[in-house]
Amino acid sequence: MIVAGIDIGSRSAKAAIMKDGEIVGSVIRDTGAESIKTAYQAIETALHNANLELDDLNYTIATGYGRVLVPFANDNVSEISCHARGVNWYFPSVRTILDMGGQDCKAINCDDKGAVTNFIMNDKCAGGTGRFLEMIADVLNTPLTEIGDLALASKSARPFNIVCAVFAKSDALHYLRQGVQKSDIMAGLNEAIGTRCLSLLKRVTIEKDFAITGGIAKNKGMVAKLTEKVGMTPMLSPDPQLIGAIGAALFAMDRCQGNKVISSPKVNYGYSDGTGVYYITMDSAKCNGCNACVETCPNGLFSLSYEDGKKSAVIKKEMLKKISQVCPGISVCRNQRENTCESVCKSNAISHSW
Amino acid sequence: MITAIGVDIGSLTTKSVVLNETKIISTAVIRSSDETELCARTTIEQALQQIGLSFNPDIKVIATGLGSKSVTFSQSKSLTACLARGVNSIYPTARMAIDMGAESSTIIKLNERGRLTDWLSQDKCAAGTGVFLEQMAKLMNLTSAEMDALSFKAKFPPEITNTCAVFAESEVISHVHRVPATLREDIAAGIYRSVLGRIISMCKRIGIQREVVATGGVAMNKGIIAILNQELGFDILVPDNPQIVAALGAAIIAREATTGAKM
Repeated sequence: MIVAGIDIGSRSAKAAIMKDGEIVGSVIRDTGAESIKTAYQAIETALHNANLELDDLNYTIATGYGRVLVPFANDNVSEISCHARGVNWYFPSVRTILDMGGQDCKAINCDDKGAVTNFIMNDKCAGGTGRFLEMIADVLNTPLTEIGDLALASKSARPFNIVCAVFAKSDALHYLRQGVQKSDIMAGLNEAIGTRCLSLLKRVTIEKDFAITGGIAKNKGMVAKLTEKVGMTPMLSPDPQLIGAIGAALFAMDRCQGNKVISSPKVNYGYSDGTGVYYITMDSAKCNGCNACVETCPNGLFSLSYEDGKKSAVIKKEMLKKISQVCPGISVCRNQRENTCESVCKSNAISHSW
Repeated sequence: MITAIGVDIGSLTTKSVVLNETKIISTAVIRSSDETELCARTTIEQALQQIGLSFNPDIKVIATGLGSKSVTFSQSKSLTACLARGVNSIYPTARMAIDMGAESSTIIKLNERGRLTDWLSQDKCAAGTGVFLEQMAKLMNLTSAEMDALSFKAKFPPEITNTCAVFAESEVISHVHRVPATLREDIAAGIYRSVLGRIISMCKRIGIQREVVATGGVAMNKGIIAILNQELGFDILVPDNPQIVAALGAAIIAREATTGAKM
């Protein structure tokens, strides 16, 4: 049985080919502007490495930002599920995953089978993402591949008390003009990003074992900082950037064997940025799809979804990026009206962080 | 006779206001630098020079803003207190003020007596600040003034869905390169709306109360004010020189301290 997983991320596209449960080919390349073309190029290169052709594939699953745009994929699965599945394949003991990608950062809890039980994602603020590191590497005039070692060479890290990429960039320039060592600037930024990742991890549960995935897991300085912050040595697969694609390939294998894994995790919608922490947590295992929150919210934040044959309330897609602008927060809402989404939810599936 | 001086040290500009017993007699705005003390002194000297005077250490000076505590020749007061005093002196009916600065936004609420009752401030995120606007103008190869003028011609402003300045930048670029490209005036208005979305959500959090006053450098953009009026559904008040309101408040507090009298 030959299956493929393709992960079209915001910055790079990854593909993994599996034959009878072994990885036989893989590739990582820049996503570029044309993601369909990139998807073909990635899969063809990976297949070529394994001496195979597109027709040899029994099943293909796409994941990542561009997952719906992959024309040759049989189906798509969210990158959160794929990361959990991929990590579980390498390290079944892992319960906490930090995925550090090009434009987002996710903290994931999974069970012993690799099914997601809780997750939180920050993709609304560039602070602490790969994009942020790219901007800083540019300011420091150091290749992205060298910033990890640069931070490790630091003797006295400079403090950064902000995470906003725009402000951090101007602060870094300010330090450079004062003649501060590049390594001390980089170490200070890693400290700031580490703190932010830790607060994301604390919103899920930090449980043994811990793994880091995504492109930033290749940055030694960042990994060292996270080891210190979390207090656990992270498990790192041979290529942590490929984990999503490998997870997708494993789902493809499941499909070929007729297995369908359904998980109903807690979902944390929202984001945190310099102004505060805005998360609405929906526990889809508790939600009975009664529609009460949909009818109650004066701002029309919720809708019902019918995934995998189960009715559950979700936050409307178009609202995701402006949660803090649409919802004034539960304490304000409670003062303004009799019923709130939290008070009408009989199964206590909804909670707000602000 | 000069009775008091107020200085507001911002992240981009430093402002000073010189008062006599009854009114403002001189103001100055200079670009901020790393040396706070020098900056504060320079702006005061500039304001005094305009009226043919030089700095006299006997005059009471109150400073507010970034690093105002480290200025040796003045006392420091919080920005919110100075803002409240300044807003109240210009518009006694004001119950709320929106201060839109280069790297921060602050919302204050005032009671009938002009006293500060509540405030909300953010300076940790570039979204919703002047820096965001400047960055976007630069991206479209426009000056801030050109972008402001353009925004009035907008007919179908796109929604800029990303709040983060970094991600919004990519979104704006995609509008510029789209085929057919989104019109520049529409993009400009879209950017203004995005900034105001953040600010209005802050206002809502502490409860909007009329009259509302806009202050800070960003309030000098007429286009922003026009869209803010639309979004709020009523006209807000904008002083002639919105940039110096906090410095004016600082000067009034300084005068009250020396004369014991209230304006």
